[in-house]
Amino acid sequence: MKRLLSLMRGLATGVVLALCTVLFVDIPDAQAEYGDVVINNYSDAAGMRPAVFPHWFHRMRFRCKVCHADLGFKMKAGGNEINMVKIIDGQFCGACHNGDIAWSVENCNLCHSGKPGTQTQVHESTIHKLAQPAGTPKK
Amino acid sequence: MTMISRMAFLVLALAAVPAAAEQSGKDVYGKVCATCHASGLAGAPRYGNAGDWAPRVAGGVARLYQSALNGTPKGMPAKGGNLALSDAEAKGAVDFMLAAVKDAARPAAAQAEPKKAEARKDEARKADTAKDEPKAAPVPAAVATTSAATTEVAAAAPADVNSFNRLLKPVSKRNLPPPEDGIHDPSSDGTHALQPPLTAFGPLPKSNAGNRINWVEALNQKKLNPRYDRLDPKAEPVVMDLNIVREVKGSMPDVVYPHKQHTEWLDCSNCHPAIFIPQKGANSISMAAILMGEKCGVCHGKVAFPVSECRNCHSKKKELAVRPAAAEPAK
Ligand code: HEC
Ligand code: HEC
Ligand code: HEC
Ligand code: HEC
Ligand code: HEC
Ligand code: HEC
Ligand code: HEC
Repeated sequence: MKRLLSLMRGLATGVVLALCTVLFVDIPDAQAEYGDVVINNYSDAAGMRPAVFPHWFHRMRFRCKVCHADLGFKMKAGGNEINMVKIIDGQFCGACHNGDIAWSVENCNLCHSGKPGTQTQVHESTIHKLAQPAGTPKK
Repeated sequence: MTMISRMAFLVLALAAVPAAAEQSGKDVYGKVCATCHASGLAGAPRYGNAGDWAPRVAGGVARLYQSALNGTPKGMPAKGGNLALSDAEAKGAVDFMLAAVKDAARPAAAQAEPKKAEARKDEARKADTAKDEPKAAPVPAAVATTSAATTEVAAAAPADVNSFNRLLKPVSKRNLPPPEDGIHDPSSDGTHALQPPLTAFGPLPKSNAGNRINWVEALNQKKLNPRYDRLDPKAEPVVMDLNIVREVKGSMPDVVYPHKQHTEWLDCSNCHPAIFIPQKGANSISMAAILMGEKCGVCHGKVAFPVSECRNCHSKKKELAVRPAAAEPAK
């Protein structure tokens, strides 16, 4: 337990130092739902709002197995290299958001609903709470 | 893997911390202290929040300087973890933070604090209209104008310095609707069409952390029946009932890992063999790894209930602890 605490503290301290080189002052405190995943590998660069995937909403309708075994979503925020071509092809989100199981891709703003600049993250995750600011870094 | 690169990054960042000439309190705050003190990370008193600072200031500024220089056992690292700071720079940062709460003591600045109590009532009222069925098409919900109105209401109520729970996330900040949650962009129409979590959570059994839903009970009580197959609503999960007890050194109760609750949700391939070799005792698991998001922490602390719920996992009393307890009812 001691080790654990000192580890957490060590991590926090280290990260603080890391952050001060890349970050800035304003960290708005975000309070989004536990397990919300922000996916922002390409969106910012493409001038779209980042996509936000709500786990709570989907797990009320599907068990984890459907996405993480059958559809092959890796359990890693931003780790699936999702893009619109794949979605329109029926992969990833497109396996359901096809106008058949769920509403289709033309509803851009329902998925692309994140604040611009929000980094890829699993909101409220342990690591994220210890280490990364929740909100939007400037620049 | 990612841990290693994270660590490497830290080391690099460490080296990169500028050993600059004397910096102003404001600069030091921005570069070092803000990481924790802007958002209240780890329970740090928040910049500009009079309620957070008042009890500390009461102990005298000299003590605060000492805390800033030497750290405190409750998580304030010495000089904010940046030992390259001079004593004067660290004190300057304290002064800078204290100056902000002198301003904040004026009522106008209390604004940012007590959030959105009104909006929550609205949401609760909407809760009645909750639907579990997938919606047929996205109905653009009436754009909630509450957020703007509520900030004014909130501004009237001053922050209570001696509020009962100073650090616990208050009820008014749990399960916020998308436009207020800080991640979704309130200026997008899509955001307002999304379902606020509370309207969906109404009938589900509660818990104390994470989504504040006891997902295991929700299935048990048949309040939810998420699909096990993308297309076939009737597909039944392949449930395996096998408990694995992991003995824990020290006083913590042993960990019981239940296959049943997991295979209700997950496929064997989600864990075997990538995360766990399917053999009792073949995996070395520690709390440190779990906190770092490995082993059980791949899911717990991200999507499944978070690590704070020790008792859910550490559920088996030790032999030692059991004996005296068993002796009592016998009497
Ligand atoms: C079902 C959810 C969903 C919908 C609907 C959706 N997207 Fe995406 N989109 C994503 C996800 C997820 C990504 C990956 C985000 C990232 O990594 O930055 C993405 C990425 C993108 C990207 C950057 C990558 C690329 O493919 O160029 C663009 C641009 C984009 N979307 C535009 C759109 C537009 C325009 C629409 C509406 C016609 C739309 N999206 C609808 C989920 C969605
Ligand atoms: C509707 C599909 C869907 C369902 C159902 C689902 N997930 Fe996910 N999950 C995702 C997506 C999408 C991501 C993000 C992947 C990305 O960013 O490329 C994700 C990411 C994750 C991550 C990675 C977090 C990290 O460390 O970065 C974990 C863990 C996870 N899910 C666990 C679960 C668990 C446990 C369940 C069941 C309770 C579940 N998921 C149900 C789609 C789903
Ligand atoms: C790693 C996060 C972190 C950083 C970085 C950090 N602090 Fe703190 N600070 C904390 C925490 C957590 C507390 C509350 C600790 C407590 O209650 O003892 C705290 C408390 C304090 C206090 C009040 C201590 C008391 O005795 O009541 C002062 C003063 C302070 N910090 C100054 C600073 C200054 C100045 C800096 C920048 C040079 C800084 N902190 C950087 C986390 C941090
Ligand atoms: C296994 C099927 C499935 C997959 C995969 C899936 N979704 Fe969904 N999603 C649904 C269903 C079903 C709904 C509910 C549709 C409705 O309300 O009509 C939904 C609704 C949503 C909503 C709206 C939630 C609300 O508040 O109404 C968002 C946002 C969303 N999905 C994003 C995504 C993104 C982003 C991805 C990919 C990363 C994704 N989904 C992948 C099935 C899926
Ligand atoms: C959530 C993760 C998870 C899932 C899903 C899961 N397991 Fe396991 N399994 C474990 C863990 C953890 C252990 C214990 C490993 C240890 O003690 O080192 C284990 C152990 C086992 C063992 C060894 C038992 C023994 O006595 O040696 C078998 C066999 C096994 N699992 C089969 C399965 C099968 C079959 C499924 C699917 C029906 C499954 N598991 C699903 C996590 C999981
Ligand atoms: C692949 C994801 C995943 C992994 C890995 C995982 N769990 Fe879970 N676990 C879940 C999900 C999903 C639930 C359902 C409850 C929830 O979502 O909060 C759950 C539930 C549980 C429960 C049931 C609690 C109850 O109320 O009955 C226990 C105990 C538990 N996990 C312990 C563990 C332990 C110990 C490990 C590591 C050996 C582990 N889990 C690894 C996903 C996971
Ligand atoms: C998701 C399940 C889970 C939760 C939640 C959890 N633990 Fe653990 N814990 C484990 C597992 C698994 C082990 C490893 C047991 C073993 O050695 O096989 C462990 C080990 C430990 C140990 C032994 C030392 C070590 O690091 O291995 C301590 C002490 C401990 N936990 C404390 C806690 C405390 C305190 C909490 C609550 C803040 C907590 N745990 C929450 C699963 C959990």
